[in-house]
Formats: sequence, C-alpha cells, structure tokens
Amino acid sequence: MSLLTLEHVTKSFGNLRAVHDVSLEIPKGKIIGLIGPNGSGKSTLLNVISALNPADSGRILFEGEEISKRSTDEIFGLGLVRSFQDPSLFFKMTVLDNSLLPVKQQQGEKPWRAPFHHLWRKQEAAAALESSRLLEQLLIRKHYDALASDLSGGQMKLLELGRSLMGNPKLLLLDEPTAGVAPKLAYTIFENIAQMRENLGLTFLIVEHRLEILFDFVDSLYVMHMGQVLTEGSPAEISANSAVREIYFGE
Amino acid sequence: MTIDFLSTGIALLTFFGISALMALSLNLEYGVAGIPNFGKALFVSVGAYTAALTYTYLLPLLAGKTPIYPCGANLTDALQLRTGIIREAMGIGLLNFLLTLVIAAVIGGLIGYLASYPALRLKEEWYLALVLLVGSEIVRILVRGYEPIICAHNGISGLSQPFVALGNPKLASFLFALVILALVALVFIFSERLIHSPYGRLLKAMRENERVAQSLGKRITRTRAQIMVIGSAIAAVSGVLFVVNLGFASANDYVVALTLDVWVMVVIGGIGNNRGALLGAFIITVLDRVTAIAAIQLDQIGFQLEFTYIRFILFGLIILLMLRYRPQGLLPEKPLTTEAHSLLKTQAQK
Repeated sequence: MSLLTLEHVTKSFGNLRAVHDVSLEIPKGKIIGLIGPNGSGKSTLLNVISALNPADSGRILFEGEEISKRSTDEIFGLGLVRSFQDPSLFFKMTVLDNSLLPVKQQQGEKPWRAPFHHLWRKQEAAAALESSRLLEQLLIRKHYDALASDLSGGQMKLLELGRSLMGNPKLLLLDEPTAGVAPKLAYTIFENIAQMRENLGLTFLIVEHRLEILFDFVDSLYVMHMGQVLTEGSPAEISANSAVREIYFGE
Repeated sequence: MTIDFLSTGIALLTFFGISALMALSLNLEYGVAGIPNFGKALFVSVGAYTAALTYTYLLPLLAGKTPIYPCGANLTDALQLRTGIIREAMGIGLLNFLLTLVIAAVIGGLIGYLASYPALRLKEEWYLALVLLVGSEIVRILVRGYEPIICAHNGISGLSQPFVALGNPKLASFLFALVILALVALVFIFSERLIHSPYGRLLKAMRENERVAQSLGKRITRTRAQIMVIGSAIAAVSGVLFVVNLGFASANDYVVALTLDVWVMVVIGGIGNNRGALLGAFIITVLDRVTAIAAIQLDQIGFQLEFTYIRFILFGLIILLMLRYRPQGLLPEKPLTTEAHSLLKTQAQK
C-alpha cells in the first residue's frame, strides 16, 4: 500500500511552474530517491508536500487521507517529517535541545504547565534517554551539551537526521542528507537510514545529488526535470535510461 | 544641598522594580521568543489607564460611595473622594490596588492578544516592530484627546500609594517598594522556570528559525500570541505600579522614549538573560536618577542644560558602545534549557 500519494500536483511562483502535474507513489517501508538537475523542482516538491508552499492544485494523500489543505505543523503531527537542504539546525541551541524539540505531546510545551517542572520532568527525562540512545547511535552523543553550531558539517547532518526521528515519523522527506559531507560519512549516513528502515519500518523519500551512494540504497527512483516527473524506475533502469542520461549527465 | 539617603534609596528601589518588570517582559518577548515589541509603552500605558479607571470607579464602589466623573467641573470632588478613601480606609485602598493589578494584567493580556493578531501575521518581524511602535503612539494620542479615561491631556492625579493611610510617608513608600520587589521576584521566578522548560526551548527555536520550528510541528502563531499575552500582562502590571508610585496618570509618560529605555535595559543586560534584564534595569534606573540630580545641581550653579537631553545622549552612547564592543550584553544568555542536560551528564559519568 502506498503511504504517500501525489496526484497531479502543481505549484507555480508567478509565471514559473516549479512543479507541474506531478504524480507519484511512495510505498510503505521503501527508500525512494528523487533526483534531477538543479532547479528541476525537487526541493519545491518537498515544500509542497510539507505545506511550506501549499500546492496550487492536485491532491496529496498520506495514509489515504487528503493532506493538501493541512498546515505544516499538522502534517508533522501526522508523521510526515522533512529535513532541509541547508543545515537547518537551531545553531544557538544545544545538540540535546535540538533533538528534543520535535518530541510530540510535550506537557512542558504548554505555557500554563511549563513553570511547574514536576508536571513534565518525567516525560522530559524519558525523552532525554531516548535522545541519548539515538545520539549514541549517530556517534554524536558526547557533544550533547555543545551548541549545534560547534558541530562539523557531517555531525550537523547526523543531528538533523536524529532530530527528524525524535518526532516519531512514519515518512521522512530528506533534502540532500549528505550535502557537504565527506564521502565516508555520507556512506555512514545512508547506512543509518537503511538501518532505520530495517529496525523502525520507516519510509524515506530522499533528494540526493550523490547518485553513486544513493543508487546503493534506494528501492526505486523518480527523476524530475523542469518541474515534471520524467520517469521512474529501479536504479538499474534509471541508469540505463537514455533520456535521464541526457538531461542528467549531458550525454 | 543635603540628600535624604533613605528616601533616595527607597525611590531608587521603586523605580528599579518597575523598570525591572518592563525589562523582564521585553526580555521574554524579544530576548527569548524573538518578538520585537516596540510598543512596550502601549502595554505599560494599559496598566496606567486601568488604574485611572479603577481609582475613579471601583474604589468608591468598594467603599460604598457613589463614583464621580473625574474631569471638568467635578475634578476636585472626584480627587477628594479618591484620596479621602485611600487615606482613611487602608483595607479598601489595598483591595482596590490589588484588584487593579489583576484587572490590568487581564486587560493587558487581552490587548496583547489583539495586537498579536494582525501583527504576527506580518511576514517580516520588523514590520511588527513598526506596527507596534506606531500603534503605541496612536493610542497615546487618542487617549490624550479622549476625556473619559484620564481627562485627556490633563491627566488624573490622586492615585495614591496603598499604604499612605499609615500616616508615615517613608514607611508607606518603603512598604510599597517591598510590594513591587516581591512582584519582580515573582515574575523573575516565573519567567526563569518558563525559559528552563520545553516551552522555553520552543520559544528559542521559534526565535532562531520559525520555518524549521513549524516543520517540526510547532504552532508558531499561537505560541507568539501566548507570549504577547504574558508579556503584555506583565507590562500592564508595571504600568499600574508606575502611576500609583507617581500618584498621577498622564498620557505623556507613554511616549516612544519609554519603549526605548526598556530596550536599552535589555540590550545592556544581555538579550535572552533575565539576570541581564534586571542588571540593565538597575543600571538605567541609577543613571536616570544620577542624571536627574546632576541636571538639577548643574542648573543651580548656572548651567542651562535640559535633563532629558543629557539622558538621551548618555543612553544613545551606551547603546552604541554596547553594540560595538559587547553585543551579547553584560550577562550573555546561557544556552542550556532543561534539566535533561544534567541527566545526560550524570549518565555519562556513570
């Protein structure tokens, strides 16, 4: 069954049709790649799905429910979490605080409860332990009280991945999870993604320029070009597709 | 000239306490939550106008007397009615004072919420600053011209301190200063506990990147409105204390300069740090008093210097120097929020 379905989704900015008549299906438990040249509409598509830039027309269904009219925070609440291409951490906050922010249903996030620490202390401690385990797995546990701005580029990407997980997602939309990261660490990030799919049954839609790594991990790919879906298929099919090779590699 | 150190000390504490409340409220709004409230004077004035109304209408009712319209021909009668009750029946005066604080907090919070409605939908946060700055002046000018609230440009006097019935002016002012400092302590503790909670974490995240916070499930508009409510309620309480200390409510006190004073306090002290806000309030209060006394002294030995000019020059200079050499303020914000950090620390030591 498909977890996320897009039907004829279109988004324009003035005269620019950034996303045009895009339909796609993300099956549950899969890792799906979304590739295409710069400016082909990949990030815009993620913005449309997460309602940061709501679609002009078309339908977006998550677990069979129409979500195109919902707000960004509601979509997060349904279990659809996205990351950003540019490092989008809260740089003046600690690593631990970054990871704890997305935790859902926090009692201490209500202003009338927040000043009374005994009302949320237990929940906070449980979340902190969960975060600690996750940060350990991502090899950044020891930096928990450092500012996010003090992390290296790769560690920032790992923290972003971990932060997305703390929101208890079903589907993660990752926008270039390895941008600006050394090749070895980029591989580690993808291994973590594969492990999360394995252990937690998560589904991923990943925008990525590092095809050599991406192709090792995805089940299938969508290729976008000029706001439209050019084709879809398995890594083998995509790399053999002459149209893709033409727009992507200029061959 | 001899200086009465006791009275000066009490006055200093009183002014410090009132400024501290304003600074704490702005620090919560701007320092922690990133909402540039340039309409602080407006929300302070709400407390002042509330006090003018309760001292005119609620106070006589509490004393079982008929309220008198406070302006025009009735001016003297209404004034005598107010001061008479406060001087003779301390219980009623105190009750009226406490009720005024509560009512002002509620009305302040309500107006904070209303102000948040259009303002928080502005995409650029500094547009909000402008809207509040201009809105604050508009309300001041309207009140200046609309008689029923504070008799227009005449203002309302006789909003006496609640302890004057004791008959000992120094003791009365001292007790009043204590009440103010107790409120400062209360607001300080409340605000500290709010900041060091998941809610504080949410506010800081919102301040830093609201788009990302939103995509992590946070309801930005609602949260900002909540902070405007809390901050404006605190500002209105400080407004009540401000007029009751002076005994006089005048629209001319709530000019943009008041807002700027509060900003100077927060910037000097350290944006985002409550202790910094207190320190900033203290420094500005002392400077304010010192420049006032210096201006009088200079005047007596023949210098014709306007007091207001001295302080504007001084405060402007301070802001420039701070922004140049120590933009984080004297007491910079500490990044840690909740005790989750100490939990991980003990976990690491095991």
